[in-house]
Amino acid sequence: MAAEEAAQLYQAFVDQDPAAAIQVVERARSSGVAQAQLFDALYVPAMSALGGAWASGEIDEMTFTQAAVVAEQIGSFVLPPAAKRDTGVTLVLGSMHRDLHSITKDVIASALKESGYRVNDLGVDVRPTDFLERLEETGARIVIVCAEMLATARAVSRVRQMFESAGKDDVVILAAGAPFAADAGLAREAGANGVITGAESALKLVGRVAADLADGRA
Amino acid sequence: MPRRSSQVLIAEDLARGGQTGAAVTACYEALAVDDREPFAHCLLAHLMLDGDFYDEAIAEATTAIELDPDCSPAYLALGLAYDRRGGMWDQSVLVWHELAEVVPDLVTAHVQLGEAFAAAQFEEQAVESWQRALELDPTEARATYNLAIAALKHEGMANALPGFRKAGELDPSQDDLFFALLGVSVVPDRPVDPAKVRADRDSRLGAAGLAARADDLFAAAELARLVLDEEPDDADALAIAAYTYLKQEATNEAMACALRALASRPDLPTALYTLGVVYSKRTGLSRHAARVFVALAKAAHTQALSHVLLAEALLGLQRYSQAKKAYATAVRLDPACVRARFGLAAVHLTEGSHAEAEWEIRRAAYYDTKRQGLFWKLYDEYAEGGGE
Repeated sequence: MAAEEAAQLYQAFVDQDPAAAIQVVERARSSGVAQAQLFDALYVPAMSALGGAWASGEIDEMTFTQAAVVAEQIGSFVLPPAAKRDTGVTLVLGSMHRDLHSITKDVIASALKESGYRVNDLGVDVRPTDFLERLEETGARIVIVCAEMLATARAVSRVRQMFESAGKDDVVILAAGAPFAADAGLAREAGANGVITGAESALKLVGRVAADLADGRA
Repeated sequence: MPRRSSQVLIAEDLARGGQTGAAVTACYEALAVDDREPFAHCLLAHLMLDGDFYDEAIAEATTAIELDPDCSPAYLALGLAYDRRGGMWDQSVLVWHELAEVVPDLVTAHVQLGEAFAAAQFEEQAVESWQRALELDPTEARATYNLAIAALKHEGMANALPGFRKAGELDPSQDDLFFALLGVSVVPDRPVDPAKVRADRDSRLGAAGLAARADDLFAAAELARLVLDEEPDDADALAIAAYTYLKQEATNEAMACALRALASRPDLPTALYTLGVVYSKRTGLSRHAARVFVALAKAAHTQALSHVLLAEALLGLQRYSQAKKAYATAVRLDPACVRARFGLAAVHLTEGSHAEAEWEIRRAAYYDTKRQGLFWKLYDEYAEGGGE
């Protein structure tokens, strides 16, 4: 079936018929081929056939070029979804009060957003009350607090105290920044539940925490 | 304009010939005769820098500039010495600024100035310097890499990646990889005339590769076509055709030819290269690009850039530690691979390792400036009076 549809797609390219090409794609999709598979199952063999037809002289240069234009037009119908699916997990992130360092925070925020997390970035120099306020607004249960100086890293304990005083004992605080990477004990002292050492570490740790929260384990 | 003594001319010849020790001795002999000759001090600064004697290089370059404030190669040596020594960013900014004043159209001076600003945490001024460099030369890869790093710091990897890819396309090393895979190392000194090429497959393919190397894409395509007319499934000819389409921004035609080539030879490096580059240009095909570049890195494991391409695809998939390994392999294979160094810097930044990132950028800058042979270009211009 897939080979037959790929041949039909190739023919639609050569016939310069984008509507027919889209119909082939839709038929394949309705027959159960997932969006993520359409490119490999349909588009790649059709393009390979197109290259073969040009190489053998079955189609001339002009037809090749026009067929490539049609292939371009239907590209968006067969490409795998670019963005990752919304995880539905909301988190709050910011650099600690009196800490103006933003690079670690920005890199982590971007990586998490790209992976489908709903990130509320409070920026730099964020007071513990601002973390609490946004937590209550969004219903987030994960907070990432960044600090690049020893003094501000120690002050993360104020965020934990603020959450506890508001009855938010179950909020997961993840600490990020050089002082925490250098001394894991610092995070424990500050009441953080884990340490993020970079973008990849953020993805792994937040993924694990989100799964635990969903299972009711955290 | 000061004149060069015969001792300096001897030192120059020795230095150009790579005889560093003898050149240093000759410089000191020149200075024994006349210690106020800027050429000798400037040359000595360059030689000291080559030997990693930064403080000595700084002293000699400073003396050369004091003797003649228009001595542009001395500014270059001084700036590089400050940068490589590290921790002297304020002086470094001043020197690169001076060089940009002395030689306003020197693109590298603006790039270096930006790097010095960035190291001193003046991000806005850094970006302005790199943008100035791109105004002078829109194909300046290093300025584009630096802008991508700046984007990474403020907007994350997703927004920085297009910048890295753009810089990669501007970087001549990417085309060099294709020709290394093809076995064409030198640019032909004469244009390839398809009509004069012997009518056999190997001669035509060889000539097609040379024509592509010389950027004569039409001749290359014509020769590949002649091979395909006789054997339509010739994977090598299809791969060359794919490359010529790629270079003309006809990415779908390139994809079609590369896929056809790989249908008969699934591990053909030249076709893998073109297909991977086509995939990496498209949003949503990062996984496909990574798959193709994994195959390329296996098929061409001694080529540093094949690992760089894999690393960049892995960055698009947020697999930072795997990307780091691929970049590290590339740097091990070619320590002067500027693209790998900037990539490694990007991964270090995602890990919060800022000092390591800066170190990689400094190394990239050093190798890139060295690759350009800028010292001798400025030196010769200065000797001819161009610096006046």
